[in-house]
Amino acid sequence: MKKFMMLFVALSIVFTLAACGGADTFEIAMITDYGDIDDESFNQGTWEGIVEWAEANDKTYAYYRPSEVSDAAYLESIELAISAGARIVITPGFLFSAAVGEAQTLHPDVSFVLIDAVPNGGVGENTVSVLFAEHESGFLAGYAAVRNGARRLGFMGGIAVPAVVRFGVGYIAGAYYAADELGVNISFPANRYVYLGTFGPSDEVRTRALSWYQDGSDIIFAAAGGAGTSVMSAAEAANKFMVGVDVDQSYLSTSVLTSAMKDLGSAVATALDGFFGDSFPGGQTLTLGANNNGVALPNDFSRFVDFTTVDYNTLYSRVASGAIDVPASHAELVSFFSAQGLTGLDIGASDIQP
Amino acid sequence: MKKWSMQGFFKWLNNSESSTKVISSIIAILGGLLVGFLVMLAIDPSKAGIGLWTILTGTFRDGTRSFGQTIHYSVPIILTGISVAFAFRTGLFNIGATGQLTMGAFAAVYVGINWTFLGPLHWIVAVIAGALVGALWGSIPGLLKAYRNVNEVVASIMLNYIGSFLSILLIKTYIYNQELARALSPAASAYLPRLSQLITTHRSSLNFGFIIALIVVAVTHIILNKTTFGYQLKSVGFNRDASRYAGINEKRNIILAMTISGAIAGIAGATMYLVPGRLMTIESSLLQEGFTGIAISLLGLSSPIGVLFAGLFYGALEMGGFYLQVTTRFVPQIIEIIIAVIIYFSALALFFQKYVQFVINKVVPESEVGHE
Amino acid sequence: MIPVIEMRNITKTFPGIKANDNVSLELRPGEIHALLGENGAGKSTLMSVLFGLYPLDEGSILVHGEEVEIKNPNDANKLGIGMVHQHFKLLDNFSVLENIILGFEDTHRGFLKYDEAHQKVIALSEKYKLKVDPDALIRNISVGQQQRVEILKMLYRDADILIFDEPTAVLTPQEIDELLNIMRNLTEEGKSIILITHKLKEIRMIADRCTILRKGKGIGTVTVKDVTNEKLAEMMVGRKVIFNVDKGPSKPKEIVLEAEGLTVFDSLTRQSVVKDVSFKLREGEILTIAGIEGNGQTELVYGLTGLKPIASGKLLLHGEDATTWSIKKRNEEGIAHIPEDRQKYGLVLDFSLENNMILQQYNDSRFHHRGFFKFDAIRDYAERIIEKYDVRSGKGPLTYARSMSGGNQQKAILGREIERQTNIVIAVQPTRGLDVGAIEFIHNTLIKLRDEGKAVLLISLELDEVMTLSDRILVMYEGELVGAFDPKKTDEYELGLYMSGSKKTEVLS
Repeated sequence: MKKFMMLFVALSIVFTLAACGGADTFEIAMITDYGDIDDESFNQGTWEGIVEWAEANDKTYAYYRPSEVSDAAYLESIELAISAGARIVITPGFLFSAAVGEAQTLHPDVSFVLIDAVPNGGVGENTVSVLFAEHESGFLAGYAAVRNGARRLGFMGGIAVPAVVRFGVGYIAGAYYAADELGVNISFPANRYVYLGTFGPSDEVRTRALSWYQDGSDIIFAAAGGAGTSVMSAAEAANKFMVGVDVDQSYLSTSVLTSAMKDLGSAVATALDGFFGDSFPGGQTLTLGANNNGVALPNDFSRFVDFTTVDYNTLYSRVASGAIDVPASHAELVSFFSAQGLTGLDIGASDIQP
Repeated sequence: MKKWSMQGFFKWLNNSESSTKVISSIIAILGGLLVGFLVMLAIDPSKAGIGLWTILTGTFRDGTRSFGQTIHYSVPIILTGISVAFAFRTGLFNIGATGQLTMGAFAAVYVGINWTFLGPLHWIVAVIAGALVGALWGSIPGLLKAYRNVNEVVASIMLNYIGSFLSILLIKTYIYNQELARALSPAASAYLPRLSQLITTHRSSLNFGFIIALIVVAVTHIILNKTTFGYQLKSVGFNRDASRYAGINEKRNIILAMTISGAIAGIAGATMYLVPGRLMTIESSLLQEGFTGIAISLLGLSSPIGVLFAGLFYGALEMGGFYLQVTTRFVPQIIEIIIAVIIYFSALALFFQKYVQFVINKVVPESEVGHE
Repeated sequence: MIPVIEMRNITKTFPGIKANDNVSLELRPGEIHALLGENGAGKSTLMSVLFGLYPLDEGSILVHGEEVEIKNPNDANKLGIGMVHQHFKLLDNFSVLENIILGFEDTHRGFLKYDEAHQKVIALSEKYKLKVDPDALIRNISVGQQQRVEILKMLYRDADILIFDEPTAVLTPQEIDELLNIMRNLTEEGKSIILITHKLKEIRMIADRCTILRKGKGIGTVTVKDVTNEKLAEMMVGRKVIFNVDKGPSKPKEIVLEAEGLTVFDSLTRQSVVKDVSFKLREGEILTIAGIEGNGQTELVYGLTGLKPIASGKLLLHGEDATTWSIKKRNEEGIAHIPEDRQKYGLVLDFSLENNMILQQYNDSRFHHRGFFKFDAIRDYAERIIEKYDVRSGKGPLTYARSMSGGNQQKAILGREIERQTNIVIAVQPTRGLDVGAIEFIHNTLIKLRDEGKAVLLISLELDEVMTLSDRILVMYEGELVGAFDPKKTDEYELGLYMSGSKKTEVLS
């Protein structure tokens, strides 16, 4: 009994001391959507952008996880961040549309950055929406893959959300565009263009990817968040390449040829520069594409044999300038093919938008 | 009620069958908190104290909001907990609450989206739809068990997967939102009425789901303890042979128990998704709430009222874990560790019960006990 | 003369109970020493201590005058102590020889020395007149022969101190005689025997001395021929025991239950275990079905009460065809059933006593109103049964059945079944494992029921009980009724012949 009393007393002291210490404040806040900041994809890209900028500019920053996926829980997390001193709240993902829509009116003193979506009820004066031209990023990746020698292509999207669809359409366009330039035929049949129905890694995805590789696929573009790691592991086993997504994923596996990036870091930096420089583009919707360096392939081209920085820069400037008008939907893809005189498209509207 | 006195307390300790069980549940909770505390100590000793403090007091941190939020988080867990407990009292291990919950959620959401003509009754019908489909899903392992002697654990595990995949198929076919790759949102009339609609200053997500949970607690408590029906269920649960000997229709009771258990899990699904912004996904993973319900049912000693408190405790942990993010920089996953440890300790409850009895026998002085 | 075994002041405590409290026992060479006591008196505990199954708390054990420590059965075997358990520990699919040498195999370069073992077993069985075929499979030989195998097992291990735990419980009178002869042979060859029993008759027939235990305490050791049976019983029970049951002639009336060619299958093997059984049961009589355990009595009762379906034949209750009635319907239409396995069928052990008292009647309007229990009515009802049938328990109606003694559990079941006021009572081994007091009570209750005009069907393995209670006796062997007797015109030996299948007559129902 005495020992218990001692333990109790000790714990009470710890509590009392701890309760006296004040909590720190964090000016920059990020709220994660249903993933975590180490999802090797969207949350992580945003978070790393924040960390980089905040460290360089000596600002305090923190992230918060909602306790469930619902508007109320997102709003609660936003308000938790505000209670902890947040002046600017960055929310990656379309799931935040409703919560940010509500929060921007409830908290006019706080600024919001909503990535990949527009708040419900429109973009408030204290909010900026950031969208990406994912199709341009996909185009760059598809082009680079075929230029590097890939002839048989595959695409594994996570779920057919608009961003993933745009990645896929751009990827198809880029591949055929490069094939036309090289004067070669490529194979990209409809059954090599799928949505997995999940963003999570699984053996099932790995097995499927492996069977594609063994059946002759040269490369698979995995626009599928964490499920991409399963494709990577299949590519390693088959000794072939894949294309990563959102952020530079080359460090995850030697099988990552390149990554169709959305430059989340620069999106975050733009917003934070504006906020702390008193030029926050409140009320605006920014679309980040090649024209403002919002999408890119990573700078490291060492895994390519037939595609160089020079080739990339040439292509990039043509996309940025609008000389190549990259399609974003199936309809645009069809007109892109006829405008560019491309042939051989096997993938139909129902494959792209199931 | 017994008159409260030290001697009375010692007597309760010594005599009551429930005292050892309650004490072992409390030991499970303390064990979980201790391990959580140790993990926090290992990560950042300077913050561990405040971390534990936050976990324990998170519920009261933001006044009525955090209090309401705590209750809100506990609702689906209380319901799945009772679902598991109710079947367990009939000697059945319903590990399929997840599948029943998923199917119930789909039905509720489907009605919530489509049957907008119902007006103010809309959400009520949606919840009932959830209960009915959950009941249907629960009755399958019940029927298989009763008529084909198929182990309900195996059948209900399999139905978790079937339910999960079937709901994906149904969502994609009938209520799919292409843009979000999720189910459509139910109509506003199908959302469970929120407390904030009554008291406009109230800021939590607390909604009618808690009232539903309280009703389920009350009804299951009464069924189990006051009615001939509950008597039959428990009798079959305790001793199938003796029940048969007594002429109790065990098949009927097995089916009914699983059906009711499924209905309660279905209601849990309805309360989870008749909420703004919580959309059913088409990801092929099982919802965790059904499994957490098993732990909460264990912790609540398979009694509806016990489960109510265990579920509220779970909600409090969730809430505390949420605030852990501002008081410390510990990740909220600490809460998952604590809950996992509590599950392990609850599973060891039998061991604790023996140990607790042993300790009571040693500690409580015999003169205090008195004789009857 | 140095005793072969001396147990001095043995105390063994289990949580909450002193199973042995300062007990002493002395076994002389060549004697048969009986250990007498009721169930729960501590006989088995004492022998388990001797056999190394439990460590002792206090006291000492001397073997051939030397103090020893027996930590496990192997130690006991090395000291020459062997035990024939009440439930045989034999492998069904092994031969007699294989069972005997199991765990004690002599090998030569990894091969069993079968021939030598074979010869040794034959030599032993001739020396001690233990007739058994070494090559037969255990499942093909009778219970009596299986017991001989157990004895041979001990002898094969060169045991000279033999403990028999209730050895006659499973035997027919003829087999009992043979066993007693074997035991005499063993002592003549220099073995010493401890016989655990609660049957005075056997002690009288064979034992030299007797140590009596009561509630864990040693009451004393007596020389059998110096004391009367009444004295032994009194020492065992702690009070005077009336052996005679007061029973007048029966006055049978209407036929209430009639079986016509009943056949019941075993659920696993799909073989018939009750074969074409026909009999009639009348009000005002006790009809007993005697037989050795496992000859279809259990299944016959299952068929009558509905726990197993009747495969063919007919069951009439009060003249109505009840062959396909549900258990519930049969309960309601007048069958009370005191089941053989009181913990499996008779009680829900995790229910309180009062909940157990309404097991069949929970749906009776006396106890509920629109599905909601009337707890006061249930309490009253339970208290009445508790009082009337002298059910003793710690917390009265709130006692969990699990925490009650076997005798009180049985009295509770008896009370529940009788209070249902049915006119047919099927009692299956109602006194099994009970102490003398409870047995007396149950016997008198059954006779009272008969005198009140109820029909009682008794299934019993105890021939004493059969002879005392029955108005008519049917003997069952291998699923068939093989003989019908009037207890006044038969004796245990005649019944034994029928029970073992040695004799058979056509039974006319």
